Amino acid sequence: MPTVSAVNLTAPLLLLLLWATHPTMATNWLSLARLPRSRPVSGAAPCARLRGLTPGQVGVCRARGEVMESVRKAAEMVIEECQHQFRNRRWNCSTTPRGINVFGRVMNQGTREAAFVHALSSAAVAVAVTRACTRGELERCGCDRKVRGISPEGFQWSGCSDNLSYGVAFSQTFVDEPERAKGLSAGRPLMNLHNNEAGRKAILHNMQVECKCHGVSGSCELRTCWKVMPPFRRVGVVLKERFDGATEVRLTRIGSRTALLPRDPQVKPPAARDLLYLAPSPDFCHLDPDNGIPGTAGRRCNGTSRLAPDGCELVCCGPGYRAGRAEVVQRCSCKFSWCCSVRCQQCKNTVTIHTCRV
Amino acid sequence: MAGTILENMSTKKLVIVGVTLLLFQAIAFMVGGLIAPSPTIAVHYLASKCVDMVKHRQGAKWFMPWGPNQCDKIRTFDEAMAKKIEANNIVFAVHMPMPNKEMSPWFQYMRVILQFDIAFKVYNQTEDEVMVYFDAGLAYRDDKVSEWTEMARSVEKRKLNCNFIAAKTVENEGRYYECDLLPFMEVGSVAHKYYLLNIRLPVNERKKINVGIGEIKDIRLVGIHQNQGFTKIWLSMKTILTPSILIIMIWYWRRITLMSRPPVLLEKVILALGLSMTFINIPVEWLSFCLNWTWMPLFGEIRMSIFYSTLLSFWIIFCGEHLVDQTERNRFSVYWKQVGSIVFVSLCYFLLNMYKRGVQHTNPFYSIWVSDEGTKLSVAFIIVAGTCACLYFFYLCYMVFRVICNISGRMSPLDMSKANPHTHHEGPVFRIRFLMLATLICAAMTVIFFIVSQVYESQLYWSNHWLQVNTAFFTGIYGMWNLYVFAIMFLYAPLHHNTDQKERVASGF
Repeated sequence: MPTVSAVNLTAPLLLLLLWATHPTMATNWLSLARLPRSRPVSGAAPCARLRGLTPGQVGVCRARGEVMESVRKAAEMVIEECQHQFRNRRWNCSTTPRGINVFGRVMNQGTREAAFVHALSSAAVAVAVTRACTRGELERCGCDRKVRGISPEGFQWSGCSDNLSYGVAFSQTFVDEPERAKGLSAGRPLMNLHNNEAGRKAILHNMQVECKCHGVSGSCELRTCWKVMPPFRRVGVVLKERFDGATEVRLTRIGSRTALLPRDPQVKPPAARDLLYLAPSPDFCHLDPDNGIPGTAGRRCNGTSRLAPDGCELVCCGPGYRAGRAEVVQRCSCKFSWCCSVRCQQCKNTVTIHTCRV
Repeated sequence: MAGTILENMSTKKLVIVGVTLLLFQAIAFMVGGLIAPSPTIAVHYLASKCVDMVKHRQGAKWFMPWGPNQCDKIRTFDEAMAKKIEANNIVFAVHMPMPNKEMSPWFQYMRVILQFDIAFKVYNQTEDEVMVYFDAGLAYRDDKVSEWTEMARSVEKRKLNCNFIAAKTVENEGRYYECDLLPFMEVGSVAHKYYLLNIRLPVNERKKINVGIGEIKDIRLVGIHQNQGFTKIWLSMKTILTPSILIIMIWYWRRITLMSRPPVLLEKVILALGLSMTFINIPVEWLSFCLNWTWMPLFGEIRMSIFYSTLLSFWIIFCGEHLVDQTERNRFSVYWKQVGSIVFVSLCYFLLNMYKRGVQHTNPFYSIWVSDEGTKLSVAFIIVAGTCACLYFFYLCYMVFRVICNISGRMSPLDMSKANPHTHHEGPVFRIRFLMLATLICAAMTVIFFIVSQVYESQLYWSNHWLQVNTAFFTGIYGMWNLYVFAIMFLYAPLHHNTDQKERVASGF
């Protein structure tokens, strides 16, 4: 009898170990956002001590150490933007109190939410590295490759302003690395790779072109145009739209390769910029610690307007919501400047706060 | 005007000359399209936010955004609140060029454009028609270790034109306004290797300075300069064209002075055309490598306007000289009205440019579009110039029409028999028709290529090469007008009745 129970236990334990460690490694680098700002993230020794990175990512950290500060900034951007985009939904991109898995076990399954987080994180790395290049903080940026044209002198002969290509290339190297290490025949790595690329495409398809005419007395015979990267908020909005229109796929074998095709054969195959997910999203209403779902109990909601996106009818689930009065001290009659100093007075107010019931 | 070389040329010779000119024209286009890069390049800079905690600083301190002596920076303005940093302590710093690169005199000029990234906040919105005041300083140095030398410093204002496309609610806080590009700085020559810009946005609530401009997240600068490759190709073209046009001009004037009669008005105007073209061709820009002349762009524009005035006057005088009517021609005073108005418009243009660039010579941050008077002056000038251009065009068409009617009406069989049967050309009519054809072709090509270069992307990929459409336009059109002046001076040179007549007899007609 004991041998049977031992055999019965080891298999699920092994599976649990595999399952616990296997899928969540890809976004563990987001834990860089939790490090204190003063702690360095570049250099050989600090790189090895960063717990959230896969071995391949540690190699990238050692090779291109100066870029890691931008990666930390990107992690902070991901958390902030995700929480902004999902502030009115039942799952509001909440973070775990500690640990390297920032968004918790809800990232384990290949749901729409995981697809969004992957796309947003690869876009954030591209944006943060490009911005660092534009500020001159990185030594090597887009001007080292051979520029189109006859002469190899590069910057002086014909100029180069290819910072975005460098940012996108670094995002591909760093964010895609854990997926490639796992091989391209499993479902989740393929899904993650596709969603990472969708995030980068969201930047590239939303570039704006600005032009300036500066010919003879301002005429347009001499016109210089350049492309401007969209602000990260815009990228978040675009990816949220893709999230709403994401396609459910499953792993199918075509000949000797495997690919992700839509589960519903009548849906057309997804484009490179669409988000894919493997598993339907759970109901985020009830608390489920095993799957990392905090539930909607205790969430603040807007009780006044019924049809607003943050209205209590939509955010809270079955049990509904309750109202309570509280006295808060808020800032009022603030004097703003274009940055930094805000001089406010303190006002006491009694407000009605609505929260979801358990 | 007596006989010209054009009338004495056989069709075969004319075709050979035409084909040779076309060949050179094609070379001019290819040099621009295949060898030279795009004329200008825009480099993005994102300003770093340096912190200057010293109140009432005496003397200038220059803040470097990166490198060994970099300033204390803050990443975002949210950090500033925690560290009790005020708006007046922030200095935006930009180093041109990027690390490990150098600016070069081949860049010829630097034009910098400013863009604000302003986020929408319900309680801190950007007001309409608000002015932004900034205190900008520009410094330079020629190596990476010495001190920065100040080049210019000024307090300027610009009108901020921003609008927010989404609804102005709390939901949309954090999204950015769409703001117009602001002209920031123009420097006419790049004499040093490294430049540093420090910009402050001082706040003074009592005087309403920088109040109500919204919440600024970042300042972006775009630096535009000419590519070194384009400058090299352009100057090479000028260096080759200068002796060519000079030689043909000297040859032309020798033929005129060797004639027994004094030179006619039209011949003098053709010489003036050659002189103005030579004036444009002279590659004075080579001197910009040893001397720091910031007024080079102004000089270039003056040369162009002189050439255009001479060309327009030439067309008018050509038509007028071929009009056989009661008035006595061959005097400049007959054309004082037309030429006078052309010169008047050019002079206005010259004065306006002198004013604009003259001030920019001392203060690179000056912009004529900021003050109301400056804007009104520029707009008024554009309207006047446009109206004059239309009037000139209609007047020219009218003159051409009159000349054609006049000359064709006066052609009698007697005149026909005098024409040289060996060459089948009928004197003045052919001259006019040829010039008209050549001018129309050149003007049409200029307009067509201008439209093509505006519509298409500046680079086209064609059979394994990148074709620079914009550069091909510049080099092609510049070469074309040089060839036009060359052809006019060559073909409209007067016949030498002694030598050329002997040639005709010898060739056995």
